[in-house]
Amino acid sequence: MSKIKHMIGKSIEKPDARDKVTGQALYPGDINLPGQAYMKVLFAERPHAIIQDIDISKAVKLPGVIAVLTAKDVPVNEYGLIMNDQPVLCGPGSKKPFAERVRFIGDQVALIIAESESLTEQAKKMINVEYQDLPVISDAREAKNDHGKLVHPDRESNVFCHYQIRKGDLEKGLHEADVIIEGEYITPVQEHAFLQPEAGIAYIDEEDRVTIMVAGQWTHEDQEQIAHSLDLPPDKIRVIYPAIGGAFGGREDMSVQIDLALAAWHLMKMGIHKPVKTIWSREESIIGHHKRHPYFVKTRWGATHEGKITAAEVELVTDGGAYAYTSTKVMGNATLMCTGPYEIPNVKVDSYAVYTNNIPNGAFRGFGGPQGAFVAECQVNKLAEAINMDPVEIRMRNLLREGSLLSVDTPMPKGVTIDKVVHKCAEKAGWKNTDKGWQAPAISKKNTDIIKHGIGFACSYKNVGFSFGAPESCTAKVELHGKDTIEHAILYHSGADVGQGAHTIFIQFMAELLNLPLEKIHLIASDTARTGQSGSASASRITFMAGNSIVGAVNNALKKWINNERPAIAEYEFRPPKTTPFDPQTGKCQPNFSYGYVAQVVDLEVDTQTGKIKLDKVICVDDVGKAVNPLLVRGQIEGATVQAQGYALMENFIQKEGRTYTPTLSTYLIPTILDIPEQINSIILEEADPIGPLGARGMGEMPFLPFTPAVVAAVHAATGIWFDEFPLTPERVISKLHEKG
Amino acid sequence: MNTPINIKVKVNGKEYKRAVEPRLLLSDFLRHDLELTGTHVGCEHGMCGACTVIMDGVSVRSCLIFAVQADGHEIETADGLGTEDALHPLQQAFMEEHALQCGFCTPGFLMTIIPFLRENPNPTDEEIRTAIDGNLCRCTGYENIVKAVKKASVKMAGKAK
Repeated sequence: MSKIKHMIGKSIEKPDARDKVTGQALYPGDINLPGQAYMKVLFAERPHAIIQDIDISKAVKLPGVIAVLTAKDVPVNEYGLIMNDQPVLCGPGSKKPFAERVRFIGDQVALIIAESESLTEQAKKMINVEYQDLPVISDAREAKNDHGKLVHPDRESNVFCHYQIRKGDLEKGLHEADVIIEGEYITPVQEHAFLQPEAGIAYIDEEDRVTIMVAGQWTHEDQEQIAHSLDLPPDKIRVIYPAIGGAFGGREDMSVQIDLALAAWHLMKMGIHKPVKTIWSREESIIGHHKRHPYFVKTRWGATHEGKITAAEVELVTDGGAYAYTSTKVMGNATLMCTGPYEIPNVKVDSYAVYTNNIPNGAFRGFGGPQGAFVAECQVNKLAEAINMDPVEIRMRNLLREGSLLSVDTPMPKGVTIDKVVHKCAEKAGWKNTDKGWQAPAISKKNTDIIKHGIGFACSYKNVGFSFGAPESCTAKVELHGKDTIEHAILYHSGADVGQGAHTIFIQFMAELLNLPLEKIHLIASDTARTGQSGSASASRITFMAGNSIVGAVNNALKKWINNERPAIAEYEFRPPKTTPFDPQTGKCQPNFSYGYVAQVVDLEVDTQTGKIKLDKVICVDDVGKAVNPLLVRGQIEGATVQAQGYALMENFIQKEGRTYTPTLSTYLIPTILDIPEQINSIILEEADPIGPLGARGMGEMPFLPFTPAVVAAVHAATGIWFDEFPLTPERVISKLHEKG
Repeated sequence: MNTPINIKVKVNGKEYKRAVEPRLLLSDFLRHDLELTGTHVGCEHGMCGACTVIMDGVSVRSCLIFAVQADGHEIETADGLGTEDALHPLQQAFMEEHALQCGFCTPGFLMTIIPFLRENPNPTDEEIRTAIDGNLCRCTGYENIVKAVKKASVKMAGKAK
């Protein structure tokens, strides 16, 4: 068969777009089944308390109420992606120790199932819960050292994760430095604000499986956690993803999944065969799912006058909130990335994840990377200023290169291109590589008494795929149909299309590898009863992992095709090179098998009368290995940049004493079109990853990472002030400007 | 107070007669009673624009209007804009310009832009930006949406000639 390479690198339209523009695509809340019942959650709405008693007697008597479920109705009343530290329902009556405690406002207390949505609301108000309030633990830094007040009384400490890195000799490194920059940084909480609030529908399918249709990021993990809580074998649970209304990490942990499954299963046991549907309100969504971790950081870095970074010491404390979620994994990334994409001979890092009574924190685009990058890039920019060196020049003297040793004392995987990315970005922004080294362009726009201009530079690296020894693989199954030639092909894959276009990419890989037109490829996606384990749509891993799995499955199927098997059916499980966890003493490990690299320049103006920052231009250079679909790649760069802009400048999630003051989209503001940069210049580099499918790297998270530190550097260039805490709301900017006088 | 009220509403050219509870929102009426799920609900209080529909030619937030207020009026939703085989030029442009990712906000954008383009068939980028400043999108970064509107306006103006 002659191969015309025609589908990779082409900006084809998303096949799901037609349904989405006509309103025909079904998101979980759009699916209705005959005879369905409705479910509502009773949330605790208080941050820390012991439930003495739950009285559901009035609620269950309300005509039309089918069932009210509490802790005693959950077979195994615990769940969690990393550890099972969260009760499905809080309250007395289950075997889970301390499950009668509520630990944050979004803890769930009861599930009300009724014939109509309004009845669930009515019945909810008739449930009487007797609480004994407990002191609220809301500051992670205090909770870290306070062993008297515990969020989880069955633990000895609120600290549930500690990593350390010891590379070289920190004191020697600091001694060799000509300048030392000390910093204290605080990064904020961020809410995902995907547009589609959590929703789903559950029913018992024709093979007696408890089936849920829901928006998630990892079908098989949902399946496993539901199976654990219901004490059923995983194959008795079926998880299907219809259209997903955005995720960004916010759907990686359970929200409505276990509730829905529990409800349908419970009804079945009562002899009632009714599907159960639920839709969360925006407010329920905001209190009910996790957020991006805030970090509290103390650090000092040293460098010589020649711009060589000699030492970095970092202490990271993060607020995990009430339960672990993916905190330990997020902390792993932050621990690695807080010293940036630089080869530093002497490194000491200590990191701590701490329980509090705040809303749990977990996965969000970048996954610890943005917090780490903020620290590293601000430190490098401050060092550059202190030794009077250009910020690009100091980077060029310290960047990781092929064979460089990471802070965890192992070499980078092959294909390191951060120097090329930095080079390209600097050049595009007008930097000149002179015989005295890199020199920033002069700012052409004139400052006035009120408006001050500045540009800022930052760069980052981010892992592709699961890290630190986490099991990592991805499965694809391919069927080839036809007689003499392949007439059509079917791909079975669980990889979730959360909007990023994963399914488009899958079809492009198939069409390319089989030399078939797109319409001859059929995709059966995201259904645990039909598709294999793919891992999550997270960690910028889907193109890389799913791509490799499809390459393997197609190759295996083609071998069978040549042996005249009709249809030729083959499965393939791709496993990347192994990673390893941090050594408890030194932190030494092989953290990752692949990285993506990114650099950004931000050009902005600060209105010194109002504190308002206006973004004129963002240049983003991103090495994606191979842009399988350049239109989708640019979409990711622009989307990530605007989301990062919200993080850096405006998204202000307010929690006090465990209560949130921003539970709506009118109090938690995300960027509108009038807030975004006037121009985003996305530049795609294609330096093949040696183990990427057709050279592709992951890229969905990378453009988020350097944005905030680049903004902070630009604001410093404009005003002379370093902001070590953000978002840079007008209030924060103006108060600092006034302080400076 | 809960006595159902009879209403008559024309939706996407088709007339519906229903008895509705007085506090039923137009968004819920469209989604649940008429099963027109192309209208999405993202915030329930008029902030995100996902539920935007056209009422008598004007963009409105269906989460801020009671179904009874639509009595005797004409509603257009994304479900009726074009068909899969015969897309409206605006839908076509959204596809071609990659103006959607998850797509949840898309119907609201379309229903905001349609009346805008009827009023202003030749908009500048600046006018497009102002027209959609009340619609939230968390995926795209908005730039491709502006491109799509521009493209559709050119195409539609060409057809009109």
